[in-house]
Amino acid sequence: MTVKMNAKMTAGIRGGLVLAAALLLAIVLSLMIGQIRLSVSDLWTGLLTGKGPGALTLRVLRGPGVVTAIGAGAALGASGAIFQILLRNPLAAPDVMGFTSGAGLAVVCGVLAGTTLPMPLLSAAGGLAAACAVAILAIKRDGTQVPITLILVGLGIGFLTTAGNSFIVTRLPPEQAAEAQRWLTGSLAARDWGHAAQVFGCGAVLAVILAIQVRALGLLELGDDLANGLGLRSNRARLQLAGTGVLLAATGVAVAGPVPFIALMAGPLGMRVTGATQPGGRIISAAVTGAIITVLADLAARSIVPGLQLPAGVMTGIFGAPYLLWLLSREMDAGDI
Amino acid sequence: MTSANNALKAENLTIGYGERTVIDNLSLDFPAGRMTAILGPNGCGKSTLLRALARLITPEKGTVTLGSDNIFSMDTRALARRLAILPQASKAPEGITVADLVRRGRTPWRGLFSAWSEADAAAVERALKEVGLTDMSERPIDQLSGGQRQRAWIALVLAQDTPCLLLDEPTTWLDLTHQIEVLSLVRERNRNQGVTVVTVLHDLNLAARFYDRLVLLGPNGMVAAGSPQDVLTEENLMTGFGLSAMVLPDPITGTPMVVPR
Repeated sequence: MTVKMNAKMTAGIRGGLVLAAALLLAIVLSLMIGQIRLSVSDLWTGLLTGKGPGALTLRVLRGPGVVTAIGAGAALGASGAIFQILLRNPLAAPDVMGFTSGAGLAVVCGVLAGTTLPMPLLSAAGGLAAACAVAILAIKRDGTQVPITLILVGLGIGFLTTAGNSFIVTRLPPEQAAEAQRWLTGSLAARDWGHAAQVFGCGAVLAVILAIQVRALGLLELGDDLANGLGLRSNRARLQLAGTGVLLAATGVAVAGPVPFIALMAGPLGMRVTGATQPGGRIISAAVTGAIITVLADLAARSIVPGLQLPAGVMTGIFGAPYLLWLLSREMDAGDI
Repeated sequence: MTSANNALKAENLTIGYGERTVIDNLSLDFPAGRMTAILGPNGCGKSTLLRALARLITPEKGTVTLGSDNIFSMDTRALARRLAILPQASKAPEGITVADLVRRGRTPWRGLFSAWSEADAAAVERALKEVGLTDMSERPIDQLSGGQRQRAWIALVLAQDTPCLLLDEPTTWLDLTHQIEVLSLVRERNRNQGVTVVTVLHDLNLAARFYDRLVLLGPNGMVAAGSPQDVLTEENLMTGFGLSAMVLPDPITGTPMVVPR
């Protein structure tokens, strides 16, 4: 490709390095801080020799949780970016539109019903069901769909599924209720390597599928007519991309619960840092940013109140809710709502 | 270059939205290598016709052929290599540069995993040069003026490098200078490469100046089709627009000039 290095590309590389450094820092901090505090050299020794407190932390205590957080955050962040590009609206994220809480509801129902189906399958089924409900309810009388209607209907479906979740929690015996409530808030406590392998395995498959679809995303954001004119079957492509987006979100939910606001915040934040404007760059920025937010939220949740382990979703909620309100007010000013 | 393979032909087209029939049994030729403008009052189905010519809507009856092929049974990508359409008032994604936008015009020529080729680069470079945006190719679209922005969109369809080019009101929202600029560069492509051009336009006098053939649609179907002299008559303007006007020869080009009474 005969493109010279220009100011935008160097800025993009600098932004990418900033994100990578931030992720590394978040990982190291998250491994160091906890009930037992470790130093960098403890970790380093543990990593090299496989002995000492560092090794135990890496292998059992915090390592699996951090790796799971990275995978779940990346999946949620990428999913958010897909919907934000697809609907051309920063409010369009699977957590705002009820897909993640739909996935959560399906998991809770499945577990309570004593099913042996794997969690990612339950989560995917719930996410897809919520997405279908939103898509169908948002169809206008003339058969078309408008992004803002999809988002608002999604908010409604989100409230509905959250209510469903609350109802189920009230019906449970206290111990189970506490556990379900914690999971539904979004938590990364007590994750093992199985969770980490699961989220990275499913995530890798979906990443390959997404890589194939990313060019279609670049055409769809030009508008349907132009995309069709450029040889894309836009309806089919949009369905496929939405499917990938929902499955990515469900992958994250299956291991971390429906952690709110990560998918919403990761895209715009990552884009701000890297300056990425092409769909591929935006999705990668969002995935890395999602991983950073999730690792930090988990760290904050287990260290901010000594001796008390909060769910990570409490932390993302504290920052995410004001951000959502700010976005909503901005959209209203722009006259889009 | 102007092979009959690039002629567009609408045959017995009937198109409606729900109950309302917008186009009723219309047959029209758009000759290869010529520039045809579709004119008419708002709501007469100009854009609908153009969208059907580009297969963006499926007619209830009738068909559209490009050369000898029925466009409704063509492969999507094969059609995109022969026919490009620039819809009305497109909105660029936030922050993308002129070059990013224009490169997407190469999509029909690229395999899913094939790298960016010399031919792709050459087509993008040529398109940017034709619209005069070579020096601004790395500027974000949202920082351009209205005229420059419209030229960037036109460059996208020029990079698509098709022998047939459809434009839906490409001059709306532009001031007169920029309208002329846009139509001139489209005509240049037509003259240099024999591209078949079909455009929905509002301005009758510019249409008469720049286009070889005009199609005038009225509220009750097609009023006239043919050379500007044949189509822009006082009688046709009354039928099509309900407009009482004088038609004089344009003092500069000699083409018909509409002066409303």
